[in-house]
Amino acid sequence: MSTVTQTADEVILSKPEGRFKQFWKKFLKRKAAVVSLIFILLMIGVAVFAPIFLKYQVQAADYNNMLAGPSMKHFWGTDEFGRDVFTRLMVGTRLSLFSALISVVIGTVIGVILGVLAGYYGGIFDSIVMRCCDILFAFPDILLAIAIVAILGPGIINVIIAVAVFTVPSFARIMRSATLEAKEEPYVEVARSIGCSPRRVLWKHVFPETVQSLIVNFTMRIGTAILASSSLSFLGFGANVTEPDWGAMLSQGRNYLNSAPHMVICPGLLIFLTVLAFNLLGDGLRDTLDPKIK
Amino acid sequence: MKRKLVASLLAAAMTVGMLSGSTMLTFADEAATEGDVQTVSADGAVVTATEQTKATDNDLVIALEGSVSGLDPQNISDTNAISACMGMYETLLGWDDDGNMVGVLAESWDVSDDNLTYTFHLRQGVKFHDGTDFNADAVIANIDRVSDPDNKLNRRRLFIITDENGNETKRITNIEAKDDYTLVITLNQPYNVFLNKLTQFMIISPTALKEYGNDIMNHPCGTGPFIFKEFEEGDHTTMVRNDDYWGEKPSVDSVTIQEVPEAGSRTAMLQTGEADFVYPFTSDQINAISGSTDINVTASPSNIMRYVTLNMNLKELSDKRVRQAMNYAIDKDAYIKLMYNGMGLPATSCVPSIISYYEEQTPYTYDLDKAKELMEEAGYGDGFDLTIWGDNTTQEIKGMTFVAQQLSQIGINVEVVPMEPATVSDSIYVDEADAKINMWYVNWSASDRSFDSSVRALLTSDMVPPTSANTAYYRNSDFDKTLNDALASNDEETLKADYAKCQEMAWEDCPWLFLGNDEVIYASKSYLSNCKVNPDGSLNFEHAVIAQ
Repeated sequence: MSTVTQTADEVILSKPEGRFKQFWKKFLKRKAAVVSLIFILLMIGVAVFAPIFLKYQVQAADYNNMLAGPSMKHFWGTDEFGRDVFTRLMVGTRLSLFSALISVVIGTVIGVILGVLAGYYGGIFDSIVMRCCDILFAFPDILLAIAIVAILGPGIINVIIAVAVFTVPSFARIMRSATLEAKEEPYVEVARSIGCSPRRVLWKHVFPETVQSLIVNFTMRIGTAILASSSLSFLGFGANVTEPDWGAMLSQGRNYLNSAPHMVICPGLLIFLTVLAFNLLGDGLRDTLDPKIK
Repeated sequence: MKRKLVASLLAAAMTVGMLSGSTMLTFADEAATEGDVQTVSADGAVVTATEQTKATDNDLVIALEGSVSGLDPQNISDTNAISACMGMYETLLGWDDDGNMVGVLAESWDVSDDNLTYTFHLRQGVKFHDGTDFNADAVIANIDRVSDPDNKLNRRRLFIITDENGNETKRITNIEAKDDYTLVITLNQPYNVFLNKLTQFMIISPTALKEYGNDIMNHPCGTGPFIFKEFEEGDHTTMVRNDDYWGEKPSVDSVTIQEVPEAGSRTAMLQTGEADFVYPFTSDQINAISGSTDINVTASPSNIMRYVTLNMNLKELSDKRVRQAMNYAIDKDAYIKLMYNGMGLPATSCVPSIISYYEEQTPYTYDLDKAKELMEEAGYGDGFDLTIWGDNTTQEIKGMTFVAQQLSQIGINVEVVPMEPATVSDSIYVDEADAKINMWYVNWSASDRSFDSSVRALLTSDMVPPTSANTAYYRNSDFDKTLNDALASNDEETLKADYAKCQEMAWEDCPWLFLGNDEVIYASKSYLSNCKVNPDGSLNFEHAVIAQ
C-alpha cells in the first residue's frame, strides 16, 4: 500500500522537474538568448549591489574634471559636472530597470485579467474590453505615453503609469486569444461538465495554458518599457534632471555631442544593449516554449 | 550560423560594454576638454581666425538664440527685440564704446540745476524712412503715444509714477517745442535716471504712427541706418541699408536676424557660412570649431547679473543667517568655470561692475565650515528641503543643478524644477498669498546701465509680484528710502554714498544667492568686422563691414 503512494508522489514530483529540465536543455541551445540572460542577470546584480562596489558617489561633482574623456580614473569619462559617467549609469540601472519592470508588471496583471476574462466569458464584456484596446492601439505607444504624462505631469511614477497603460492592450489581446484557444480544449470542457466552478476552470485549466505566451511577451515588453521610459526621460517628461536616469543622461549628453561624445555613447550603448538583450531573451524563450518548433 | 554570429557579436559587445569601454572610446580623449579654462586675451579674443576669407555677398546674417518678440519699440522689453529695433530706429541719446552717454538724435542737452527741466537740441536734417522730417514735434508725438494708457504700451512705465496704492501720476508736467529743433521737457520731481531711460526710447515717424496706430509693429519706420524689409515671427527679421541715412552709412546691403535656438545648429551655420555672426556662442562650443580656421570668437564684459532669489517669506529663508550660509556654501569660481568656461566673474555686489555706482563688497568666500556653523546657529543644522525654479534650457538646468549640488553640502535638499519660460512667469507673478516660489534661478540686465534700473524692480518693497520681479519678497524700508532719495539727487557724492549704502544692505541681507556676471561670447566669420554685442546682450551691427 505504502509503495503505491510513494510511486504516486514520485510521479507528481518528477513531472514538473522533467518539463523544466527539458526546457532548460532546449533553451541552452539558443546561444543569443543565453548570453542575453547572463547580461540581464548581471544588470540586475548591478542594480541591486551597485552602490556597494562603486568607487564614486553618484552625485559627487568634480569641477576640476569636467567633460573628461574615458581614462583609467573614470572608465567612461565624466559629465558636465565632473561626475563619473560609469557610476551614474550603474546606479541608473536601478532606476531604469526597476521602473520598466514595475510598469510592465502592473500592465501585465491588468492586461492578463482583462484578457482572460474577456476570452473566457465573451459577449458584451469581451466587446467592450477589445474595443477599448483597439482605441489604445490606434495611438503609437510613445505618443500615448507622452499624452498620459502630459496629463499627469512629469515624474518617474507617472512614467511608470504611462508605460503600464500602453502595456495593457497588447497583453489583453494576446491573453484573450490564448484563452479562446484553451477554452475549446477537450479537458476544459470535461472540467466544466463535471461541474468545476468557473474560477477553478479559469485558474487551474485555462490560465496555465496561456503562461507560455505570457512569459515571452512579458520579457519582450520589458525591453519596450525601458526604451519608452528612457525616451520619456530624454524628452524631459520622466525622472528629475538631477537623477541618474539613462534617458535623462542621454538628453544632457546631447548638448556636448561634439566635445564629449562619451556622454552620449555610453548611455546610448547601455540602453541599446539592455533592450536588445530583453528582446533576444524573449525570442529565445518563444522558440523554446513553442511546441511547434523543435 | 547566423544565430551564432549574432550571439558572438552580442557577447563581444556586452563584454566591452560592461568591462570598461575605454578601448572603444579612446577617440573621445582628443575631443574632451578636461574641464580646462579658456584664456581670454586683453581684447577679448577667445579664438582668433588664422585665415582671412572673403564673403561672396554683402548680406549680414546673424543667428540668435532667442526670438525677436516684436518690432514696436515702445512695447518691447526683451533684448533681441531691442537689437532688431535699434537697427531701424534711433534714440535721442546713446552710448559710445567706452560707456559714455552721447547724443544721437539729440546733438546736445542741458539739465537745469533743480534737475527738473531738460532741454534737448535736436539734430537737423534727419528724415524718417517715409520722408517725414525729424523734429521736436516728432518726439512729442512719440511721448504722447506712449503715455496714453489706452495704447497699453510697456514703455509707458517710464513716464508715470506709481505710488504704493497703485495711483498713477504723470512724470512729465510739461513738454514744449521751443522751436523745431529745441525740445524742453519738465518733470514733476527729480528723476536722475531720466537720461539713461531715454537711451532706450526710440523715436517712430509721426506720419507712420498716424497711419498705422498700434499696428506700427508691422510697419516699422524710424530714422535708423536700416529700413524694415520683412518680419516673420519666430523665424527672422530682415532690414536693408538706408542710403539716405544722416550719419555714416552702413556698409552691408542687408541684415537678417535669424532665430536658431540650438547652440549646435548655430555653430554649424557659422561653419558653413550660412550665418556670419552667432550669439550667444556657448563656451562648450569652442571645441566644436577647432577645425575651422576662419572663425573669431570674442568675449566681452556684460551687465548680466546671474542670481537665485530666496523667498524671504518662507520660514527657513526668513533667517538672515540661513541666507548667508547659503551664499557661503556656493563656490562662485566653480560656477563660472562650469557654466562659462571661466569667462565671467563671481558676483561682488548686487549689480555687475559695469553698472554706474557699483561698489565692491566683501565676497562671501566659499567656506563650508562657516556655512554649516551659521546653519547650526540658526537651528537648521539638519538642513531642510527647497525647490528651485528656472527655465528648461540647457544652461539654466545646468545652473540650477549646480546650485542644488552646492547647497546639498550644508544639508539643504534642493529639488530642481525646470519649466517652460511661460510657465515660470505664470507661477511667479501671482498674489503673495498664493506664491509657491522658494528659489528662482534667473538673470537680469539693465540696458540703460543705471543703478536704479538694476535693482528697483528686483529689490524694492512695492515691486513684489505680481507687480514686478521682487521675487525674494525683500522688504527693507531703509533700502527703499535710500534708493528713492538717490533718485531725487544729482549730487555725485550723495549718489555714490546712497548707492553704496544700498549695495551694502542688499549684500548683507542676502535676498539672493549672488552667483556671477558672465561675459557675452559671440563668434563671427573672419571676413566680418565691427559687429559686436553690447554689455546688455543687444547687438551692435550698424557699422558691420563684410570684406569682399
